[in-house]
Amino acid sequence: MGQFDYTVLKPSLPFIWTGLKFSVTLTLIAMSGGIVIGTLLALARLSSLKPLYTGAMLYVDLMRSIPLVMVILWFFLVIPLIIGKPVGAEYSAIITFTAFEAAYYSEIMRAGIQSVSKGQAMAGYALGMTYGQTMRLVVLPQAFRNMIPVLLTQTIILFQDTSLVYAIGAKDLLKAADIAGKNYNRPVEMYLFSAVIYFAICFTLSTFVKRLHKRIAVLR
Amino acid sequence: MAMIEIRGVCKWYGATQVLVDCSSSVDKGEVVVVCGPSGSGKSTLIKCVNGLELFEKGEIFVDGVSVGTAGTNLPKLRSHVGMVFQHFELFPHMTVVENLTIAQEKVLGRSRDAARDKGFSLLDRVGLKDFADKFPGQLSGGQQQRVAIARALAMDPICMLFDEPTSALDPEMIGEVLAVMQDLARDGMTMMVVTHEMGFAKNVAHRVIFMDEGRIVEDATKKDFFGTPRSERAQTFLSKILSH
Repeated sequence: MGQFDYTVLKPSLPFIWTGLKFSVTLTLIAMSGGIVIGTLLALARLSSLKPLYTGAMLYVDLMRSIPLVMVILWFFLVIPLIIGKPVGAEYSAIITFTAFEAAYYSEIMRAGIQSVSKGQAMAGYALGMTYGQTMRLVVLPQAFRNMIPVLLTQTIILFQDTSLVYAIGAKDLLKAADIAGKNYNRPVEMYLFSAVIYFAICFTLSTFVKRLHKRIAVLR
Repeated sequence: MAMIEIRGVCKWYGATQVLVDCSSSVDKGEVVVVCGPSGSGKSTLIKCVNGLELFEKGEIFVDGVSVGTAGTNLPKLRSHVGMVFQHFELFPHMTVVENLTIAQEKVLGRSRDAARDKGFSLLDRVGLKDFADKFPGQLSGGQQQRVAIARALAMDPICMLFDEPTSALDPEMIGEVLAVMQDLARDGMTMMVVTHEMGFAKNVAHRVIFMDEGRIVEDATKKDFFGTPRSERAQTFLSKILSH
């Protein structure tokens, strides 16, 4: 192995920073959108209305059965056909991740909703609340609270998975490192550098989740 | 017309019939105790009254409104039928006073201030004013059940349903909950109470309904029920429960 040359890191920093910002933005948008859509999917799956139930189930099972990288490629090809004009790789990535992660978040929220006792919903109804009010005010806040550690763990996985957008050329952290590596002809250093950044962020977050888990377990 | 009118109600869980042709009524200001062995359908029956359980046959009217009919606005009906559960079912993510105000604000549309005033005066009534800002998890079972009663009362109910309100409580906490219920009865609240507390029935009830295997086998005034229950089943039940 040749000598590592770390002098290339400094000039590439602004470039890496832009990539990192996109990775984080993508993670945050896919997380928020995924949790909102996932919660709706979970409610549909727990509903007694057959079409809602079946539709949600098919969607979730489909997304969970296909490798993410294929979904990314397919959306990149299909979305322009649907809306009639090309979208950038970045927008395509945001839509894909939100739609894909919704399936995973929905399974978490479903478990969360089921972790709240039936009596809680009954108490809401008995006070005259509608289905929507009972869910919004009584069941979902508790489901969400019970599932925060699991939702965060899924978000860490999501952050790592965002590196797959290299497949469509969106400029995330990995892609930035890739380009910088080629620019300075120092690919090993740049890949290593990006791996360190991924590790630092994910390790910090998962340590935080572990602590949170203990605290929530104590609260309950 | 009676406040609660139950006519020929039948209910099935799959092939099992859990309510068989149940008929009874509760007049305004009347306290009716529903008792019977576990699995006799008494909790199911009381949950049918505010539509928390559906029934396949028969009719139930609450204040003249038919519960089982398709077009009935159940949320509206329930908003003025108070219900108290065996396991309290306070909302654990809200403080005690929030438990009392949430439905007043979101269902009845009361202002925050009006709801809080009402909440505090009811907490005072059940002796828990100092606990307003605590969370349910910080209260004892008896205290939680008193809060649950106050929560139901905050909606200004026209009648109250109690589903085994003391069954999940430690013996030393039963008294404080029964005292609140006795108070309510004395104030003329219409009450339907599923309970094993025969002392409460003797002191407070006007009538006693005895259920067994989904049927109402005895529906008598308190005096008749404790004096000379007609059915053999009720006699055995009473002799078992009163010997404790």
